[in-house]
Amino acid sequence: MPVSAIPAKPHARPDVALRRVGSEWVLFDAARDRAHVLNLTAAVVWKYCDGAHEPDAMAEAIAEGIPAAEPAAIRRDVEDVLRRFAAEGLLQ
Amino acid sequence: MAVPPHVLEFSSDDAAAVPALNALYHAAPVTSAPPTLRYTLIRIGDDAYVATSPSRPPFGPASFGDAWAFVEWRAIEDVLNDPGPQAVFVHAGGVRIGGRLLLLVGPSGSGKSTLTALLLARGHPALGDDVLRFAPSEGVFSAVPRSLKLDANAFHLLTLETRTKALSSVGTLLAAGCHYVSPVALCPAWESPPGSPWGVVVLEPAPHRGSAMLERYSEGEAAVRLLQSMLGAEYGPGAEARMEASLKLLESLGAAAAFHARGTRPSALADLIEEVAR
Repeated sequence: MPVSAIPAKPHARPDVALRRVGSEWVLFDAARDRAHVLNLTAAVVWKYCDGAHEPDAMAEAIAEGIPAAEPAAIRRDVEDVLRRFAAEGLLQ
Repeated sequence: MAVPPHVLEFSSDDAAAVPALNALYHAAPVTSAPPTLRYTLIRIGDDAYVATSPSRPPFGPASFGDAWAFVEWRAIEDVLNDPGPQAVFVHAGGVRIGGRLLLLVGPSGSGKSTLTALLLARGHPALGDDVLRFAPSEGVFSAVPRSLKLDANAFHLLTLETRTKALSSVGTLLAAGCHYVSPVALCPAWESPPGSPWGVVVLEPAPHRGSAMLERYSEGEAAVRLLQSMLGAEYGPGAEARMEASLKLLESLGAAAAFHARGTRPSALADLIEEVAR
């Protein structure tokens, strides 16, 4: 998959839907007839893709909920997830 | 439950043919509405039948097996072509074990039919081995009028009652070499009511290797497999309704467990599936 740039304030495409399935989440992109399985972190990141949050702000918010986690590691995870969203065309 | 747009009626002047026809009748909802699609098998001689359907010229004279296969083919096509408001079809099997509905998902040759037949023969009612109807408004899966299609290997794993051997035949219309087996040939009380899935079993594609294994699997991946098994846009509603149906299908799996199955021995796999669902 090509490396994709992360927008300053990522904004999810409004026509892509998120649904919980068991302990995971599925993003359904009807326009491209594709579905993506997300873990908890990725699902939370998707929720923050509202065009108002920068990646660092997302990482900080997630870190508050997981005090034991290393902030740098969370930041890396958030960036990885956002890169994947961008590469899959899930952001507008 | 929303009533599908058609009420199917199967009939014959030959009493011996009625049980096989009744096996197709389960697509008809419980309703007092009059039948809208009628299919008949008319006996005209020793193992010579003519089959009629609403949308094709009469078929025959033909053997019982071929005439029955014709009726089934026409009924499934008629249902697929007009599934009802928003309904879609998925390429999956469905079996109820102890009240829990398990969907069997996998490509052709993965063993859906064999497992469905084995579990049905053990007394677990089935929705079908290959195609299920999904009604988004209720979030439930239900059966379509269809026999089980078993290849020779699967067929010989099963013990069919002598009485019901006549209900199975080697198909010549759609799947040469496959046995068209009526569910009643495997279990008299085979019919399973519509329902929401308790679990999804994802089957490995053929060729199968190694011992039978059933492991927990990603619920998300299983859901995606089921989404991908939705039959093409030529059946069912338009794009917008299909998207809505896809989302409802995901929601119907919200609490479903997921398993991954593989191995060369379907009987052993059926044991494992019974174990997890009980």
